[in-house]
Amino acid sequence: VKIALVGQPNSGKSTIFNAVAGYRSLTSNFSGTTVEYTRGRARISGEVIDLIDLPGLYSLNPANAAETCAREFLLTGDWDVLVNILDASQLARSLELTLELTELERPMVVCLNMMDEATRKGLSIDLKTLNEALDVPVVEAVATRGQGIVETFVAAKELRRHGPRVFSPAFSYAPAVEAVVESLARALVTAGIPDALLESPPRLGVEMGANDSVALQPQVAACAVAAPAAVADLAPRPLKVRFRALQLLQSDPLRVAFLPAATAEPVEGARREMLHATGEPADLVISSARHAACLNLFERVATVSRPHGDWRERVDRWLMHPFWGYVFLAMIFLVFFRLVFDVGQLGEAHILAAFDSLIAYVGRFLAPEGWAFALAKGALLGTAGAFAIVLPYLLPFLVGLSILEDVGYLARVGYLMDAAMHRLGLHGTATIPVLLGYGCSVPAVMATRILTSRRDRFIAGFLAVLVPCSARMTVIMALVGFYLGAYWALGIYVLNLVVVALAGNVLARIWPEVAPGLLMEVPPYHHPAARVVILKTWWRLREFVVIAIPLLVVGSAVLGLVEFLGWQNAINAALSPLTALLGLPAAVGLTLIFGVLRKELSLLMLMQAVGTTNVGSVMTTAQIVIFTLFVTFYLPCLATLATMVRELGRKLTIAASGALLALAIVISLLARGVLHFLL
Amino acid sequence: MTLDQARIHSLLRILLISDDWATRRSLNQLGLYAGELIHVLRRAPFGGPLVIESRNSRVAISRQLAESIRVEVIP
Repeated sequence: VKIALVGQPNSGKSTIFNAVAGYRSLTSNFSGTTVEYTRGRARISGEVIDLIDLPGLYSLNPANAAETCAREFLLTGDWDVLVNILDASQLARSLELTLELTELERPMVVCLNMMDEATRKGLSIDLKTLNEALDVPVVEAVATRGQGIVETFVAAKELRRHGPRVFSPAFSYAPAVEAVVESLARALVTAGIPDALLESPPRLGVEMGANDSVALQPQVAACAVAAPAAVADLAPRPLKVRFRALQLLQSDPLRVAFLPAATAEPVEGARREMLHATGEPADLVISSARHAACLNLFERVATVSRPHGDWRERVDRWLMHPFWGYVFLAMIFLVFFRLVFDVGQLGEAHILAAFDSLIAYVGRFLAPEGWAFALAKGALLGTAGAFAIVLPYLLPFLVGLSILEDVGYLARVGYLMDAAMHRLGLHGTATIPVLLGYGCSVPAVMATRILTSRRDRFIAGFLAVLVPCSARMTVIMALVGFYLGAYWALGIYVLNLVVVALAGNVLARIWPEVAPGLLMEVPPYHHPAARVVILKTWWRLREFVVIAIPLLVVGSAVLGLVEFLGWQNAINAALSPLTALLGLPAAVGLTLIFGVLRKELSLLMLMQAVGTTNVGSVMTTAQIVIFTLFVTFYLPCLATLATMVRELGRKLTIAASGALLALAIVISLLARGVLHFLL
Repeated sequence: MTLDQARIHSLLRILLISDDWATRRSLNQLGLYAGELIHVLRRAPFGGPLVIESRNSRVAISRQLAESIRVEVIP
C-alpha cells in the first residue's frame, strides 16, 4: 500500500512520518528548484506500507516550489491512500486543504493531530459529524506522544481492504460556478489533453542541472517541477477532469499564458465567463466558496469555549517585545554560540590529538621522506580537519538549531529582525543563516533552505559566507588580536559588519526583491521532540559528511603531494602578482591555497611559510592586517563551496566566488592605502 | 484604511485584499479573506511586521503586504 502524507506546514506531519518510518527515511528538505520528498517504509500491524511524506502545503494551488512539488506528486496518482494531517488547534484554516483534497475524489483519511493543543485552546471537535460531512475516516491524534498514529494508518489500510468505493467532493459550488467548471472540463476532454494541469512553467525550469545527481540518489524521489515527461512515466492514474478544471481556473494567470494554446484558450474563456457571471476573478470565486464551506463545516463540528490560561502568550509578551525581545534575542544567541564554541573546542582538542598520534603511527610504516607518507599525511590531515575542526562545532550547532526551530523560536527571530534585514534586501527569516555564519559557513548555507526564493537564498548565502566563521575568527584572534591587540581585532569585525551591510544593499539593488514581503505563520511554542531534533540533526549532518569530507580528504592529500614534490615555489611564483599587489611576502602564496581548504590552516601554514611561529617578527603591522583581511574575505573554504554548489547551484556559486575574490582584493588594497597613510 | 495603519490590539474586519494573484493567494492560504475578523497583536519596531490573529492562528505580515489589505475598525 502506498500512503501519501499531506498537510499544512506545522501540522506535525513529519513527526508522524518519523514516528513510523524513522531513521531509514531520507530528507524532506527542499533545495533550489528540485524538491525532494521523503519516502519510507513502515510495518503497521503486520503489513509493510510505503510512506511518502510531502512538503507542507496550504493549498493545492501554491506559490512556491516545494508546494508545487507536493501537488505534482498528488497529480501523478502514484499513491493509494491519502492521509491528510491537520493541526486540530487550527481547525478552521486546516479544513480548507481538506476540502480541496476531497476534490481529488480518491481514498483519504483525516488525522486530527495536536488534539491536546486544541483542548488547551478551548476547542472541542465533534469527530462523528466531521466524519459524516467529509465521508472519510477521521482519527484523532497527539503525535508527539505517539497517540493515534497507528490508528491513522490502520484506518488507511482498512480503506483499501473494503474494496472500491466512491469518494466524492465534500461540497459543491454555486450552480453558476459549477456550470463554468463543467463546460471547461468538457472542453479539456475534447481538446484531449490529459495532463493539462502540468503547467510546465518555464520560469521554474531553469538551473536544474546542478542538482540532478543528488536527485537521482536511490530512494529520494525528486520531483523536477519542469519535467512533465518524467511525471508521465510514473503511469498516472486518471484524475477526475473536474478537479483539473477547478485547479486550472485557480492558477496564476501568468502561468496559464504559458500553457499550450489548446489548453490556454478554453481556460481563458472559462475565466472570462466566470468574471462575467460573478464579477470576481475565478480563483477568488472558487477559493472564497471553499472558505465559506470550510467555515460552515467548522461551525458544525467545533465548539469554542474559553481557552485555558496560556503561558505562551506571556512568553511572547517578552520574547516579541519591541525592546526586550531584542535583548532576549541577543542573549539566546550569545548563550547558543558560547555553548557551541565550548563543546566544539573540547571536541577539537581531543580529536586533533588522536589524529596527531595516528599520523605519527603511520610514519612508522612509511618512509617519512617518501611520497606515500606525504599523501597519507595529507589525507589524514584532511580527515582531521573534517572530524576535529568542523564536526565538533557543526554537531552542537545543528542540535541547537533544530531545538530552536522545533520550539518555534526561529519564527520569532524572523519577526524581530524583519525590519533590519529589509535594509539588506532580505526578509526576517534570512537572519538565521546570516547569524549562523558566525559559527560555521556550512550549516549557514544549508540554513538558507528556510527561504523560498532563489534570490533570497543567494543573497542570504552570500552574506552568510561573508561573515567570519569560527575558523576565520581563529585567524583574526591569533594574528591580529595576538600581535596587534584586541582593538585591532574588534576593528576587523566592525569593518566586516560594514562590508556585509554594503554588500547586502548592493545585491538588493542588482537583484531587486519580487516577493511582497514577510508573510509567515507564527506557530505556538512546542516542547522540542527529541526524536525530531535527532533526525533533523542527522539529516543535515549526513549531507556534510557525504559532500564535504571526501573533498577535504582528497584536497589535503593533493596538497600533501604538492609539498612533497616541492611545487611550493612554483605556486608562490604563480601567485606573486597577487601577493605583490597586496604588499605581502611571496612566501604566503601557498598559504592562501591552503586557506581554501580550511581557513585556520592558512594560519598554521603562514607560520611554516615565514619560518617562525613569531609572525610579528617577520611581518609588519600592515602586512598582518592585510593578510587577515584577505583571508577573511577572499573565498569560503572547500566544504562551504561544496555546500553552496549543492544549495545554490554551480553558476551562482561561481558568481559568488568571483565576487568574494574581487571584494577581498579591493578591501585589502584599500586597507593597504589607508594603513600606509596611517602608519 | 489599510492594515499597516492599524493600532495595536484593535479588532478589524478585512474589506478587500489586493488584486494581485500571488498576494491574494498567499493571504487566502493563511485564512485571510475579505469579511474575516482579525486582531492586531503586535507591531515590530522600525517599520517591522505586524502579528495578527484570525481564528486562532497567528501570522506575521510585513507592513508592505499589510498595505494591500483594506480593513475597517470594529469598535
